[in-house]
Amino acid sequence: MPYKNGSAIISGIVLGCLIGIFVPMASYGHWTLPPLAPPAEYGNILINRTSERNGVKPVTFSHWIHRQEATCRVCHFELEFNMKVNTTEITEKMNKAGLYCGAASCHDGKAAFGHEKPHCEKCHNGNISYGKEKFAEVAARLPRSNYGNKIDWAKARNKRLIIPLHFLTVKPSKDVKFTSKLKLDAEWPNIPPAVFPHKSHIQWLDCNNCHPDIFNIKKKTTKHFEMERMLKGEFCGVCHLNVAFPLQDCGSCHPGMQSE
Amino acid sequence: MKKSIVVFCLLLVFAGTVWAQTGLKKKRPLPHDYGKVVINNYSERAGLAPVVFDHWIHRSKFTCRLCHVDLAFAMKAGATGIKAEDNMKGFYCGTCHNGKMVLDTKVVFEACSKTAPEDKKRCERCHSIGKNVKKEYDFYTYTEKFPKERFGNGINWEKAEEDGIIKLTDYLEGVSIKRTGMVVQKDFSLETKVHGMQNVIFSHRKHTVWNGCEVCHPEIFVGVKKGNTKYSMPEIFEGKFCGVCHTNVAFPLTDCQRCHTKTVQQ
Repeated sequence: MPYKNGSAIISGIVLGCLIGIFVPMASYGHWTLPPLAPPAEYGNILINRTSERNGVKPVTFSHWIHRQEATCRVCHFELEFNMKVNTTEITEKMNKAGLYCGAASCHDGKAAFGHEKPHCEKCHNGNISYGKEKFAEVAARLPRSNYGNKIDWAKARNKRLIIPLHFLTVKPSKDVKFTSKLKLDAEWPNIPPAVFPHKSHIQWLDCNNCHPDIFNIKKKTTKHFEMERMLKGEFCGVCHLNVAFPLQDCGSCHPGMQSE
Repeated sequence: MKKSIVVFCLLLVFAGTVWAQTGLKKKRPLPHDYGKVVINNYSERAGLAPVVFDHWIHRSKFTCRLCHVDLAFAMKAGATGIKAEDNMKGFYCGTCHNGKMVLDTKVVFEACSKTAPEDKKRCERCHSIGKNVKKEYDFYTYTEKFPKERFGNGINWEKAEEDGIIKLTDYLEGVSIKRTGMVVQKDFSLETKVHGMQNVIFSHRKHTVWNGCEVCHPEIFVGVKKGNTKYSMPEIFEGKFCGVCHTNVAFPLTDCQRCHTKTVQQ
């Protein structure tokens, strides 16, 4: 899927020659955005670290099911799930001991189904589109968006159509005040700057989800996260390629730009 | 002139790569791996596997101070430069691991010895990387009854001691010096530089229980006077100052609000 944007096309025709002199053509290169999964499969992952080796089908994990129940913070901060598939050393033993999926108030057999028969195949089914029918029901009652799951999760949360848990044991403080919107200049002269609101991210995340691993906390050192690196799954791309609204949705970060 | 411009440009590029970051999330260690140190100063050269040192088992018996002050262990893996000879003479590991010391009715196994045991099994209790050694204590069985918390080893060590589940030795006859207690300073707050971030409450009382004075002063924090040592959060993340302990053994920096607790009046 080639990358283009409305304003680039218009200004490209009018100012093409002028800008062409100063800006190398390479900077207009068309990126290839990764193909998007169908809405019901966006954010679904197959976990197969040891499953098939142990004679069971890989685990299907749906972000869209879980993010209705808990924010990103709960699993990726408190429960220490890593950010890349198959890197978290989840085992049945660990889960049963109350770590990872098996944490208290999650799949502990009380709040959600536990780790015994007949529940095995609810996860170990190897089917990336597992729960498709349920997805249609969920999507029908939540506000729509144009990309990813085609669900506006932020709006759904703000309107309290979903009330995800925000902590299990490590309560976040309400006093952290990062309300300012950061403005980030784009690499190309004709692309409007991106804005970053801390506020809407804190609603789902803990500071540590992003800092200091993905974004360090040194001031003025954020100049290295070009779109190209995000497309490789770095920086914003850690989440915004596969779970949070995808990079196709240009306008959500670069207001003033049309989305693809 | 031209040369200096080239040098300047090269420096800029270099600075750029130094400042560049990976943009990826690091993998979290498993509870039993947190605080694991691999030591390989001389091991492989001597035909042995590198040593694996687990903090969790040792900290369930001894204070940090005992090893890092009285026994002179450095704070960085490999920086102590422990030799088999040193252990045999009763320094470092050999202070306790001498085949004589009795701990919880068990004799502490001897570290290195001149006559290598024939089956090498004893060597492999420490020289264990890649050896698939079954350790005497299994982390999860051993810590089953310990109070739990998130991050690091997943154990609330402070509470474990308060509850009497662990009793830590802080004094070794013939090694430690008898000290008289000092009056501990009251908890104080450290101001953050970032607007909107809560201040840090630092408790000397909590830290001195396991560290005494010497683990931190004067090397890590030079001053006994507040404000003498200037440091920043990026430096702490790099493993300096608080990060000497709180990136790898003490509870990790994951949970910002464990230290940043005091709301600034605005």
